Amino acid sequence: MTATSFARACALAAAFTVSSVTAASAGDYSITVDRVALETGDFAKTAIGYNGSSTPTILRFKEGEEVTIAVTNNLAEDTSIHWHGLILPYRQDGVPGISFDGIKPGETFTYRFPIVQSGTYWFHSHTGFQEPDGAYGAIVIEPQGREPFRFDRDYVVQLTDAHPHSGERIMRNLKLMPDYYNRQQRTFLDFLNDSRDQGLSAALADRSAWGEMRMMPTDVEDLQGFTPLINGQDPAQNWTGLFEPGERVRLRFINSSAMTYFDIRIPGLQMTVVQADGNNVQPVTVDELRIAVAETYDVIVRPTEDRAYTVFAESMGRTAFARGTLAPRSGMEAEVPDLREPPLLTMADMGMAHGEHGSMDHGSSGPRAPQPTHTMADGTMMQGMNHGTMDHGAMGHGAMPMAGTDPFYAPGSGLTPQAADGGKFLSYADLKAQKPLYEHRDATREIELRLTGNMERYIWSINDVKYSDAEPIRLQYGERVRFKFVNETMMTHPMHLHGMWSILDVGQGKWNPVKHVVSVAPGTTLYMETEVDAPGEWAFHCHLSYHMDSGMFRKVIVEGGPAGKSADLPAVPQQTTGG
Amino acid sequence: MNHRLYARAVAAALALSLSVAGIASAQMSHGGGHGAAMSIGQPGDASAVGRTIEITMHDNYYEPETLSVSEGETVRFLVKNAGAIVHEFNIATAEMHKAHEAEMQMLVDHGVLMPDRIDRAAAEKMKTSMGHGMHAAGNSLLLEPGQSGELIWRFADAKDLEFACNVPGHYQAGMMGDFRKAN
Repeated sequence: MTATSFARACALAAAFTVSSVTAASAGDYSITVDRVALETGDFAKTAIGYNGSSTPTILRFKEGEEVTIAVTNNLAEDTSIHWHGLILPYRQDGVPGISFDGIKPGETFTYRFPIVQSGTYWFHSHTGFQEPDGAYGAIVIEPQGREPFRFDRDYVVQLTDAHPHSGERIMRNLKLMPDYYNRQQRTFLDFLNDSRDQGLSAALADRSAWGEMRMMPTDVEDLQGFTPLINGQDPAQNWTGLFEPGERVRLRFINSSAMTYFDIRIPGLQMTVVQADGNNVQPVTVDELRIAVAETYDVIVRPTEDRAYTVFAESMGRTAFARGTLAPRSGMEAEVPDLREPPLLTMADMGMAHGEHGSMDHGSSGPRAPQPTHTMADGTMMQGMNHGTMDHGAMGHGAMPMAGTDPFYAPGSGLTPQAADGGKFLSYADLKAQKPLYEHRDATREIELRLTGNMERYIWSINDVKYSDAEPIRLQYGERVRFKFVNETMMTHPMHLHGMWSILDVGQGKWNPVKHVVSVAPGTTLYMETEVDAPGEWAFHCHLSYHMDSGMFRKVIVEGGPAGKSADLPAVPQQTTGG
Repeated sequence: MNHRLYARAVAAALALSLSVAGIASAQMSHGGGHGAAMSIGQPGDASAVGRTIEITMHDNYYEPETLSVSEGETVRFLVKNAGAIVHEFNIATAEMHKAHEAEMQMLVDHGVLMPDRIDRAAAEKMKTSMGHGMHAAGNSLLLEPGQSGELIWRFADAKDLEFACNVPGHYQAGMMGDFRKAN
């Protein structure tokens, strides 16, 4: 071979390699939405899955790519796919009734949008209760440049809370009896114990307060009886990720649960958090982290020993755990820790215990630290309370460590996370953007959203108005809006704005992290800012499936904006073809 | 950059080579009970410099990530922080890096080490309140975004020598590199 022809051959080979890579990472994807069998150690049921499987599908995109995704609905009912966390034209966002009409049974709908970001995201149905029924998958987007961190292995760790009941049945039961799925009811025996520990009058006052609230201290999870899965596998099936000792392993945690927050740790390993909700953060090394519903966290771990490590994810209410394993060889197992004691909500989680915490140093958490709120959803509550008889001993604090000072929980909250090994637990306060997405500037206006609810009727709402009765929130293109969330309920709400980023105020100015879900703990006020840069109509809601369905939801309309920007993309209906 | 400006920049960078405890002797004996003391080397003489290696620090990684050095060799490192975040270039063993990170965490906790700058006022305050502050350690450079620095190092017999950034979290995220023995 002459030098010239050799060079030509090399060029050809190179061109071939490039084009085959391009073919694999750009262009066309297809997804079928199917009825699938789901079997866990606890139950078997017919669920919904993608591509005929109860193992979640992983879509792998490349930043800068233009994707075309054909979604075929093999169900007997409408479906939809929402690309959670992706910035895209609103017609492609996949929310029936807002972005499009949904996908009819037997039809194929083709989504088309550019990939303008990188990181870990996920996708799920935005129709009915299909997502709790299994309609979720993962999205991994490779960046155009190199990652600002190093790893040798890369695993998606997608969590869910599979339930033996269908989502529809769960919603029906919750409406009939809001504590239907609370298996941690306070009993008369508990009351006797409380009376012994606190004195009768304190115990009575305590009981009366909770009764007025129509809640119980054990109302951490309003849905129990689920089986947590990792990548579709239950704790016994033990999803396993392999490594060679000394390698860096990237774990992409995604919480695709309907209702369940998880506290994740890997005994024997520290986790360095490098990404939150798909956006790189300045690395922070922790022993444990809490992942809200619909959040993602990417961590780097570096196991150096030739042994197995358990990936242990306890539900926040400590009713169940997901378990997987990192191991040098498949089939290996490490010790599985016991579930810790369930947390009990306190008066602080009702937003009432603030007065007694004068000694706590709020200043250390920054100028924008969330403050506990005084306001209650139900005005009559206040009358029933007798502050004079309240002391910390009467509020069940005694059973809990008080070390937690996470500014994103009400002081004295029963939910404040504690690392199992006494180490470092990730707080929102630790999150700093690696590279700010937007120029930092003052918000142009503030919108207050009180997160409200009536537990007895299982109605969840915003500013006491449920979605079906509410006017849309109107934003102007080019604004920077500061959202003030005041959580007046005793549940934790993961709030998700579609289409635009949620810049979580952790008091770090330009370094505030950029997210797509912000979790608002009971009795707290939390701020996020949004650069209104995406024209169109978007969903904005609590990501707990049954809260969203019962009304903690708003439509956001972004008015104005340059012509040719996303709102003007080709109309969607023509892309639907019969099938 | 003319010579004088460069010297000034280097001096500034060296002043920023902050270490709470300091690794003054640059000597270490393995805590693991190896017995035999090993030396990671020591600051070298400019007159002994055999070659110069340029290191660029990005957010959060080095370029290059692997270097070959010989025992007894004296190398001049020209280090530039091309990132938007403060980074360190520190020559030590993995064990020493780990210990040093705890010191760096103190700087963060005291508001001295900010994401993109060193707060000198906070550093003074910390020094006053704690009785000790930061002093130069010859094995490291701590550089703000855009800064450059110079470090001359004479390598000795330590194995497993690494260069790393001990801004908390950076090492674990992969901002480290290996020295490979060239001889």
